[in-house]
Parts: sequence; structure tokens; C-alpha cells
Amino acid sequence: MILIHIALRNLLTHKVKSAIVGGLLVFAAFLIIVGLSLISSIDKSMSKSIVNSVAGHIQLQQKGAKDELSIFGQMGSNEIGYIHNFAEVRKKIEALPEVAAIIPMGIDSSIVFGGNVLDVKLEALRNAVKAGDKQQVDVVRRHVRRMVALLDDELKNLKGFSDAAKMSDDMKQGLIDVAAANQPTFWDSFDQDPFARLEFLENKIAKMAIGEDMLMLRYVGTDTERFRKVFDRFEMVDGAPIPPGQRGFLFNKFTYEEQVKHKTARRLDKIKDRLAEGAQVATDDEIKLWIKLNRSQYKEITYQLDDVATAEVKLALQTELDSKEEDLPKLVDAFMDVTDANFSQRYEVFYKVIAPRIRLYAIRVGDTMTINGFSQSGYATTVNVKMYGTFRFHGLDRSTMAGAFNVLDLMTYRDLLGYMTADKKAEIAKLQAASGLKELKRDTAEAELFGEGAGEQVEDTTNATPTAAAAATPTDAPAEATPAALAAGSGGGSAKVFARELEKHVYTQAELDGGVIRSTAIMLKPGVSVEEGMAKVNAAIDANKFELKALDWRAASGLVGNFVGVIYAVLAFSIFIIFLVSLVIINNSLVMSTLERTREIGTMRAIGAQRWEILLMFVVEAVVMAIVFGAIGCALGYSLVAWYGHFGILAANDFMSFLAGGPRFYPALPGWGLPVAMVAVGIVTLISTLYPAWLATRITPLAAMQDSE
Amino acid sequence: MATPSATQPIVHLSNVDKDYQLGAVTVTALRQVSLEIAPGEFTVIAGPSGSGKTTLLNLIGCVDVATRGEVVVAGRDTGKLSEGDLTRLRLNALGFIFQSFNLVGVLDAFQNVEFPLLLQKQLNAVQRKERVMDLLQRVGIAEYAHHRPGELSGGQRQRVAIARALVTRPRIVLADEPTANLDSVTGNQILDLMQELNREGTTFLFSTHDPKVVSRAGRVIRLVDGRIQAEESVEQFQSSHA
Repeated sequence: MILIHIALRNLLTHKVKSAIVGGLLVFAAFLIIVGLSLISSIDKSMSKSIVNSVAGHIQLQQKGAKDELSIFGQMGSNEIGYIHNFAEVRKKIEALPEVAAIIPMGIDSSIVFGGNVLDVKLEALRNAVKAGDKQQVDVVRRHVRRMVALLDDELKNLKGFSDAAKMSDDMKQGLIDVAAANQPTFWDSFDQDPFARLEFLENKIAKMAIGEDMLMLRYVGTDTERFRKVFDRFEMVDGAPIPPGQRGFLFNKFTYEEQVKHKTARRLDKIKDRLAEGAQVATDDEIKLWIKLNRSQYKEITYQLDDVATAEVKLALQTELDSKEEDLPKLVDAFMDVTDANFSQRYEVFYKVIAPRIRLYAIRVGDTMTINGFSQSGYATTVNVKMYGTFRFHGLDRSTMAGAFNVLDLMTYRDLLGYMTADKKAEIAKLQAASGLKELKRDTAEAELFGEGAGEQVEDTTNATPTAAAAATPTDAPAEATPAALAAGSGGGSAKVFARELEKHVYTQAELDGGVIRSTAIMLKPGVSVEEGMAKVNAAIDANKFELKALDWRAASGLVGNFVGVIYAVLAFSIFIIFLVSLVIINNSLVMSTLERTREIGTMRAIGAQRWEILLMFVVEAVVMAIVFGAIGCALGYSLVAWYGHFGILAANDFMSFLAGGPRFYPALPGWGLPVAMVAVGIVTLISTLYPAWLATRITPLAAMQDSE
Repeated sequence: MATPSATQPIVHLSNVDKDYQLGAVTVTALRQVSLEIAPGEFTVIAGPSGSGKTTLLNLIGCVDVATRGEVVVAGRDTGKLSEGDLTRLRLNALGFIFQSFNLVGVLDAFQNVEFPLLLQKQLNAVQRKERVMDLLQRVGIAEYAHHRPGELSGGQRQRVAIARALVTRPRIVLADEPTANLDSVTGNQILDLMQELNREGTTFLFSTHDPKVVSRAGRVIRLVDGRIQAEESVEQFQSSHA
């Protein structure tokens, strides 16, 4: 009692000491509370982002695979192994009462050519020719001719810069072809044999213009129907979901806007968003850059306009700009030079006048797109697949990480993967031997990589397609020439029929589950902790002797998953440093105060206080300090967290949005935060009190008498 | 006045030496000191500075132990006691009055006086309050019970200190130059108080070098260079200083 009293009185009396020590303790407690809140909230919201978008709570991959799964990690395929017996795995894992669902997956990225404007215009020309619409043929033909002329100019410029000796033969031939197509004679005689001219343009010229719409797409090949149902953040934006069991591709809205949309339109969208956030044209460097690009890249628009459209746009822009300028590029340049005042008007005009006359998206809902991948055996694979629509992960609209994931059906994924059974490999080896190709080195490398017999359980993916019914060729073709790949090939009428068949074919669940996959996502039932789920899944893996390794979402997501660990470490380290500093300062200040109180303590000892009672007095003082100042710090920290928890912190950028699991971040203090902070502060205070307290117990009663003589 | 008694002496010293180690040099503060203090005495240890008064008081006050010889306080041989036992002995058998009062600055008068009782843990709050207030009344500062030392004059502080020394009803009260920090008027008042208390039965042993204080003692132990030079009656002392 009296000790607490003395302790309190001491605190009040020694104000400077109390202020220093108290300030430190308050700060430490504050920091712990705020730090813990931020981290645990980031952890929670990020887990939402990761778990509910692609990763699930737990991922399974092949045991002993060279690389660990890294969903948000590096692009391109890494050697994460294969799962061959998904059907069986699914049966066993889904039987666990803790598991809500298990979804097969393969994450990869490929190049997609959006089909360039020339392609589109050539198709329009072909249609016009077929329809016999002479006027339309003229308009489109003039446009195509202008495009070819531009292409020829560009290529000639390019040629001037590059070393002709290093150019491939294909490239050299291409240059010659384009130059030929740019001759007046080519066009003068167009009407004599339009289809032959068209074929020449389609096959020889269009590919030379291919560069502009090359997209690098990351996708997750999966059982699309189940993916859609299990990941509750998934929601369609445009178009329709891929029909169950069918082939198809869904764009993530984020990727679709960022990569597929017309660049000028995209930049205008971005300027609009930025202005809506309160930025100003004059002061925002990014907006300035976008405007500059829009003005200099006027070709992105003019290139796409034929005569008729050019005239229409010219008129509209002249009206808008109140100008008599006849040169469209100059008009577009002036039009794109937007200001705070005229932006919304220009934006509206753009979407009303220009957007309908250009290709706003390189790939549209309902288009068939061509995905170019590299199979696991190193061969290029090409697959055609229908684009059904766009989707987003709810709350992660602006997240670069989650936004990079597009969705592809499992069968098409397997075609792209080009994973070969042992039989197929033998067949190819035979073919290669017959054709004189010596690529045995690569073949043996594969055998080592995949391990012997690894492919034996794998169902041949080509057998699962309607191959046998539709075409007789595939059996003799190399494995990469899957039906889908064949369909992607140019020309042939039978291939087109076949492609349509393929598009409509509905695969059974057994076919979907039967083939090879790279990993699986496991969703746990609500209320089941990841730790518990991991334990149960691991037990099931062991019990069934599956060659699988389970990773929790944190480990499976790669670097991002470790992010929380890293900030934890940073916070822990800074708290440690602050505690260390506090310890020294508090200790110092208490030693000083002990020395000041030597006579008082000596008197207490003389009067009859035992050593332990002196020690107790110091401990009580420390505890009182810890409680009082710790509580103040906690209260301050908690107030701040509660404030932000209520109003939220705006996620400043895409990555923040991913971490926050939404556009705003709402920190909340976990239940254990308060005790942890108090205990930590208590421990620091006690430790820093130890030495001065020990010093105090060494003070003898003689100290009370010292000035007596 | 000293009342020779048949009862056991409270303090008994025989052939006590006290050495201090000052670096390599051994300083002998007390040599061959033998004395007894009987209950009810009002004894002064007199002598110049450095004569060993405080050392002697420290040995009797159980805050220090003798290098050689025997110090028996309240029937206990202090040389054979542990530190904890010595502390208990100080708490229960001894009262201390210091030259600089040595009150606990953060406690008020009442709490300062109550402090030893709290250490003793024998009385409940009501009993403590009664005992403390009685004493504060007795030393004449009851009205200042809730003033902190900083708000009291030197004389008032020393009264609080006397009350604190008496509150445990010790066998003997030791006072080291109790009036040295007080002006002569206040010093006299304090001595008056101590004398009154002595008459009421409290045994006092205090040190001083002030002849006026010595003159009020019942018995004078004169120390020179750590030896008891002479035991004189007050009359002898007065004549020698006349």
C-alpha cells in the first residue's frame, strides 16, 4: 500500500524523469498498438485478396518438384511439377469435413496476338468482295492500301537502322513482299483476281504488321465453372461465363483495360480517373505524360480510319475545335491537348465520334483469340480459343497483382502446356529420326526432368477431345499439333468446321479432372483455420500416399505472401531498437533518481525496511509506470487505429489496394494486441528497473547518517 | 534523569574496536570501547568531530558491526546476526533521529510517522492512526499531520522525526546530533521535548559536540580519538568547560 503510494508520489514528484520515461513508454506502447493493427489488418485483408482470388487457403503441388509454387511470383512457367491423379486427389481431399472445395489449376503466361488492324480490315475487305459491294470495297481497299504504304515506310526506316546481314531470310522476304504490295501495279490489278490479292495480303503482309498488339497474358487454366463458384470474389463484368465444360477464355477486366484497350482511349480513361481524384493537368506529371503521348501517337487513331471515317472525324473535330485545319493528324494533336476546363467535353466527343470508328479493344467479347505458348517440351504451341467476357475480383479491381490473372479453360490450358505422355514422346522421337532432325539432347533432358514413368497415368489430352470424330490427322501429327492447334492453322475449311465443333464441345467432369494439372487450390470451410486445414490435408496426403506437398496460401503466393512476414520483421526490429533505446534511457534515468534518493533509501533501511522491501518499492514503481504510461500509449494508439478503422485509409496505389483487399484499408486491432503491448511495455520497464533497483538494495543504512560528522 | 535500574542494560559493549579500510590504510575509529546503557537513561556521547561519535552510534544502532569485541543490543549480539535480523532489530527495538531529519519527502507527516508501523505489519489501520495521531499530538504538530516535509520548518520536521522514532515504542532512541541543523531556540525546544519524553520513560542516546546540549544530559560519554576518555557526570563536564 504505502509502496504504491510512495511510487505514485515519486512519479509525480520527479516530473522530468517521469516525462522522459513516460514519454518513451507511451511511444513504445503506441507503436506496438498501431504497428500490430496495421500488420495484422494487412495480413487479414491480403489473405482475403490472395485466398479469394486465385490461391485458395492451401495449394498442393507435386512433392519434390524443383521449384516451389509461387502464384504471384515470377512470370512464365517454372518447374513446379505436375499432378497426374487429380480425380483421386479430389475425391480424398474433398471428403475431408474441413474442405469446402478443391480446384485444379495451372498458372502460366503466353503471348496473344490481338489480331492487328490490318487483319481486321482485310477481313472486312474480303467480306465486301464476297458481298460484291463495290463502293465498300473501294473504301476499304483505299484504307488497306494506305496501311500497306505506311507499313512499307516503317519497314524501310527500320531497315535503315538495322544490319541487313543479321536479318533473317523470312524478314528479308517479308520486306520484299511488302514493297511489292506497295506498288501501284499491285492495286491497279486488284479487281482482276481479288481473292489472290487478298490471300497474298493476308498471308504475307499482315504478319509483318504484327508487333503492335502483342499481349503478354497471365492466366490460370482451371475448371472454369468451379473456379467461378468457389472464388467468391469472382464476378463477371461483360459477356457471359464460359459454359460449363466448354473451352473458353475470360479476361480480367483490369488486364483487359490495361492491355487490350486502345491506348489513346486508355490514357483518356486514366486522365479522367486522375482528375476525378482531384489532380490537375498543370501539376500532375503523369497526366502531362499521357497527354503528350496522346498527341504524338495520333497514328493510333488516324491509321485505323478509312476515307469515310476520316472525313467524319475531321468534320467533328473541326467543329469541336472551331478550326479550319484540314490535316487530320494536326486536328487530333490539337484535340488531345486537353485542359482541366475542356477535358470532360473532349472525353465525351472522343467516345461519341472517334471510339465507334476505331477498334476500341483489340479483342472483343465473342472473338476467337490465338494464344501462343511454349509447351513444356520447348515447342511453340498455338491454340485458338473463344473470348467469352471479362470478370473482376470484387474489391481488387485496381490491384495489379490480382488483376493480372485471366481465366482459361483446363482443356485449352493442357493443349498449351503440351505435356506429353511417354508414348507420345517415343512417337515424336521416331518422327524426328525419320525427318532427320537430331534433337535427342533435349529429349533426354525431358526424360530427366519429368522422371521415369511420371506420365504414365496421364490421360492423353488429345484423346479427350473430339479428335477421332472430326479429323483423322492428329494421330500422325506431333503432340503439339493438338486439334486446337490445328484449328488455329490458316485456311482449310475442314479445320474451321473442326474448330467450331471444338468450341462447342462439352467436356465431362471426368475429362476435366482426368488430365494433368500443375497445382490445386483448396478452399476451407468457414471457421476452419489454415493451420487446422493444413494438418488435415497433410494427414490425408500421407494416408493416401499422394506424391503431393501442401503449402498454405502465404507460402504458395510467393514473394507477396512473405510481405507480411517482412513488415512484421521490420516492425519487430524497429520496436526492438526503440525498446533498446528506451531501456538504456529509462535505466539511466532511474539510476540517477536512485542516486538522488540514496539518503531516503538509507533512512528507510535504517528505520527497518528490509532489502526486499526496497526492491519491491522499485518494482511497484516500475509496474505503476508501465501500467499508467502503457495504458496512455495504448489508448492513443487505439484511438488512431479506431479512427482509421472507421474512416479507412485510401489505398494509394494498385499494390496497396491488393494489400488492403479493397479500395480502402480498414485497420483493426487484433484482440491479443492490447495484452501484447502491455506485457511488452511491462517487460521493458521491469528490465530497465532491475539495475537501479539492485543498486538501491545495496544502499546501506549508513547512507542516512553520512552528513552527520 | 538517569534512573539506575536493576533490569538488564539495553546496550552492552565490551572491548569494541571498529576499523575502516581507507584504501591500503586501516583507520581505527573506535578502540577498546566498553559501555552499558540502562533503560531510562538520557545519555550524550560527546566529543569533537572525528572522535568516533557517529561510529559508536552506528554500532549501537545496528547499522554497522564491530570489527572486534561484542555489541549487545536489546539482548542480541549484533556480531552474530544476519543482515535481515539486524534490520528487524532496528525496526523493533530502536528508534532513529537524524541530524538532517531524513523524512521521506514524498510522504506527509502522518505517513512518515506511520511508515515504521507499516513495516512492522502488526497494527491495523485504526490502531495505527490512533498511535500516530497520539504521537503527533505529543510532539505538538498534530495540525500539520498532512503537510509534506517541504512545507514544514526545521523544528517541525525534527518533531515529525522524533514521532517517527518513537512510534514503534523502541527500547532506545538514537539521535545523531539532533539539534545541529536547528537554530538554538528551536534546538532547545527539541531538547525539551526529548527530555520530557525521557521522563515519560523513553531511553535516549545521542551524540553532540555542542556543550549546551551536553549540559542537559544525565550522563556524558566523552570520546577522544575513538577512545572513551572519561565518563563524567554533567557537573564534571560543566566544570571542565567552565
